[in-house]
Amino acid sequence: MQAKENMMPPKTYDAIVIGAGHNGLAAAATLARKGHAVLVLEAQSSIGGMAKNVELMKGVFAPEIAHLLYNINPTVARELGLGTIFAPLDLISLATVSLSPSGDHVLIKDGTPQDMAGKSHPEAAKYTEIYQRLTKFAGLLGQMSTKTPPSLAGGIKDITDLAQAAGLTKIGLNLKLMGKKDMREFLRVLLSNIYDHLLDDLTDSPLSGALAADAVRGAYAGPRAPGTVFTLMYRLGNGAMVTLPKGGMGAVADAFGKAASNSGVTIRTDAKVAKVMVTDDRATGVQLGSGEVIMAKAVLSNLGPKSTMMLAGVEHYDVEATRRLRHHRAKGTTAKVNLVLSEVPEFTGLKGDLTHARLIIAPSATYVERAFNPVKYGELPQDPVIEAVIPTLSDASITTDGKHILSAILSFVPYNLKGGWSDAARQELREIAIKTLETYAPNIRALILEAQVLSPADIETLTGAPGGHWHHGEMGIDQVLTNRPANQLAHYRFGPAGYYLCGATAHPGGDVMGAAGRNAAMQVIKDGVLK
Amino acid sequence: MSKHVPIGLIETPFHPRLEPLSRAKKWMNWAGYISAGVMDTLEFEYFAIRNQTTLFDISPMHKYRIKGKDALLVVNRLVTRDIGKIRDGRVSYVLWCDEDGNLIDDGTLFRYSAQDFRLCCQESMLTWLIDTAWGFEVTIKDESHNVAALSLQGPTSYSLLSDAGISVGDMKPFDWCEVEPGLWISRTGFTGDLGYELWTSNDQALALWDRLWGAGHHWGLRAIGFEALNICRIEAGFMAAGFDFQPVHHAVRLGRGRSPIALGASKMIDFKKGHFNGRRALLTEAQTGPSHHLRKIDIGGFKPADGALIYYKKKHEVGHVTSGVWSPTTKRNIALAEFKAPYGDTIKNDLWAEIYINKEGQWDKRLVRVEIENKPFFQNARSRATPPKPF
Ligand SMILES: Cc1cc2nc3c(=O)[nH]c(=O)nc-3n(C[C@H](O)[C@H](O)[C@H](O)COP(=O)(O)OP(=O)(O)OC[C@H]3O[C@@H](n4cnc5c(N)ncnc54)[C@H](O)[C@@H]3O)c2cc1C
Repeated sequence: MQAKENMMPPKTYDAIVIGAGHNGLAAAATLARKGHAVLVLEAQSSIGGMAKNVELMKGVFAPEIAHLLYNINPTVARELGLGTIFAPLDLISLATVSLSPSGDHVLIKDGTPQDMAGKSHPEAAKYTEIYQRLTKFAGLLGQMSTKTPPSLAGGIKDITDLAQAAGLTKIGLNLKLMGKKDMREFLRVLLSNIYDHLLDDLTDSPLSGALAADAVRGAYAGPRAPGTVFTLMYRLGNGAMVTLPKGGMGAVADAFGKAASNSGVTIRTDAKVAKVMVTDDRATGVQLGSGEVIMAKAVLSNLGPKSTMMLAGVEHYDVEATRRLRHHRAKGTTAKVNLVLSEVPEFTGLKGDLTHARLIIAPSATYVERAFNPVKYGELPQDPVIEAVIPTLSDASITTDGKHILSAILSFVPYNLKGGWSDAARQELREIAIKTLETYAPNIRALILEAQVLSPADIETLTGAPGGHWHHGEMGIDQVLTNRPANQLAHYRFGPAGYYLCGATAHPGGDVMGAAGRNAAMQVIKDGVLK
Repeated sequence: MSKHVPIGLIETPFHPRLEPLSRAKKWMNWAGYISAGVMDTLEFEYFAIRNQTTLFDISPMHKYRIKGKDALLVVNRLVTRDIGKIRDGRVSYVLWCDEDGNLIDDGTLFRYSAQDFRLCCQESMLTWLIDTAWGFEVTIKDESHNVAALSLQGPTSYSLLSDAGISVGDMKPFDWCEVEPGLWISRTGFTGDLGYELWTSNDQALALWDRLWGAGHHWGLRAIGFEALNICRIEAGFMAAGFDFQPVHHAVRLGRGRSPIALGASKMIDFKKGHFNGRRALLTEAQTGPSHHLRKIDIGGFKPADGALIYYKKKHEVGHVTSGVWSPTTKRNIALAEFKAPYGDTIKNDLWAEIYINKEGQWDKRLVRVEIENKPFFQNARSRATPPKPF
């Protein structure tokens, strides 16, 4: 979507949002819907951030970075009217196929696994039990996602101030309603690792491999790392449905963009913010790279926390905050390989229209753990975990001439590649991706017309996301909830009065979800800074 | 033999002079250095501070040099006062806080220029300063082991310096300057009286000592230890780290930190100078009021009340003495004490200290009256006189 500038833009706005990622747009729309004048400033020439299309060949659009929608927050969707005629968004739901080199793939549909012959999977009962339990627990975490996390500011002496801890009380309450047995189980697994959690009940196969891969996609952690049950639950927090937006990820950007502009938000692209102005410990506006100054009562940042701090100037932050933000963990581990194909590749043993599905290459949980190892040494995984989808099979609107797109996310690709990210390194990564795909779809190489490779470092360059990280910051237990993005900075308020974080780096975290942006806007309103 | 990292306490550059002078052999550990607790007799040393002149080795103090283009920004980011208002060649008593507004330490900041400062304090502060300076153009250097320092305190200290050929007649309190190449003097101290601190390099230390000692006899010069000085600082109403407040980086338990507001140093906070560490927390506390109040108190009787609990209406425990001594000069039983708010602030009457008295093996408990004091217990115009006289 290409937003036009107003003919007579007001000199000052109630709020300026830096960055037109879907979270920035959600924040802007939420504020505008309450009657505030909002300006969104985006560095790139189009909106959407990590959630948008890229035209790889004429008329052929790939999801540039993010490719599937599974965690959109229902409150956000409802409040912004996503999927209504005002902000259309059609979702095509997808099954998941976990590929096996032997051709014994597993189809997972509505939480139930089956084999390629359509027969129930031998571990179906156990899988369903685990899956349902995790989804139930995930729902509890999901409830937390639209609330400001409880504050522990000032230490435990303040915890009696339960007004702020209301979110936690609520979840505490629901925990009790869950029954003692479930509650005990929830607390037991919350910090544990997904590898043991799965293999306690399942064999090490493509079925457990797929869940292990889902648990750690985007994380700097293998499935044996503590906290990976939490990250899986996070992923399942909004119902766990995997969908493909009709029109590609660009349609998602457009939907958020329309929700914003319909409510009166002004969106300016090619407007990189160079500086946030602070007077008397209050954010008063921004300065663009061009030197242009725009004033506002509040400034919200869709960027990572360290860049957000640096825009205002380190002098406005306490030493402890700068320490935490300097050491904020955000080493991205996901790369993107987008292929334009002359026709649909043939996956050995994949029947019927299952090629439409979300395809997972993670033939066992151990495979996933092994794939993680090299990243620790700044090396490329030779046998990577891949999540691939061919969106053009479900949605012809994004392509022409029968061309197809294969969009692949490779896990555990180092941000800090040994020797640095060069064209040769990108070439090597592309080769690894193709070789891995060839194991399952032997004819694929010959079909490739065009390829786009984005390393985590490239993703950082494109979007500004720290480390090119999926969530703009690791979802480790030290960086979630009350600690997101860091201790004492978890309330969207970010240093000077009127300055806020509104992107994936804030609670609840990343994915195309919209909750962080919407919550930040609610906090701005609650704080009364726009009065 | 190769040189090893010394094991145990190390000697200050003045130790070769102190060791033979020490009769009491009462040494203490001050920041890893051998430091005198008492040199001879506590009473002699105390009265020498108040009536003659004294030398105390303050070399163990931590000293940091903050130098560079952004030095003023960095010190202003560190401390609660506005150092922009301090002129070159001046010293400022400063406090600095963590993000919750609790005191990390207090100390003295010496301004050479807007690009060059020295910070002296009790606590080791290197990593904190390095982190405070992150993002700024400055270098932080730990000078703790390179700079020797002596505190020359007492009414005849000015006269002694004159006799030693050092002219400091026009130095006002908190002035500081290089009086001779390599010798810096500040008119500062911890006694509330006339006095100076002398700073030089380690290799010049003994020559400086000998020069002062040589000129000192006529002026009653004595080498002293910490204990005598401690009485004087309580008389002057100065708080001390580890006694009257717990440096918050060392406090293990929650809620043990105290803000400058709680410590009665609100005037040392400049909210208008821009952001500094802990400012937002302090601003909130300035509105809601602190949880505690550190106050000067006068206690009935003459039994020093260090550590005594304080009660309201002889019933409710509302505080305790943090530093208590018998003050020989004012002939009063004085102390600094911490009260839980609002005691010591809006409630100042009917306060009692619980004192235990041991009469040859028999313990007796007494409640004695506590009066809040606003002024320092010891004040003397000579401490500010410029030029000073041979008092
Ligand atoms: C490889 C990869 C694949 C992913 N796949 C999925 C997926 O399939 N499904 C899913 O739900 N999630 C996926 N994610 C995660 C998801 O894309 C992100 O968590 C989410 O899009 C972040 O949204 P955001 O609005 O917070 O930030 P972003 O989308 O990163 O937006 C930040 C915006 O700020 C702009 N900006 C930066 N600096 C400035 C400046 N100085 N001035 C003005 N503007 C500026 C940027 O250009 C950008 O538009 C993926 C992430 C990665 C890395």
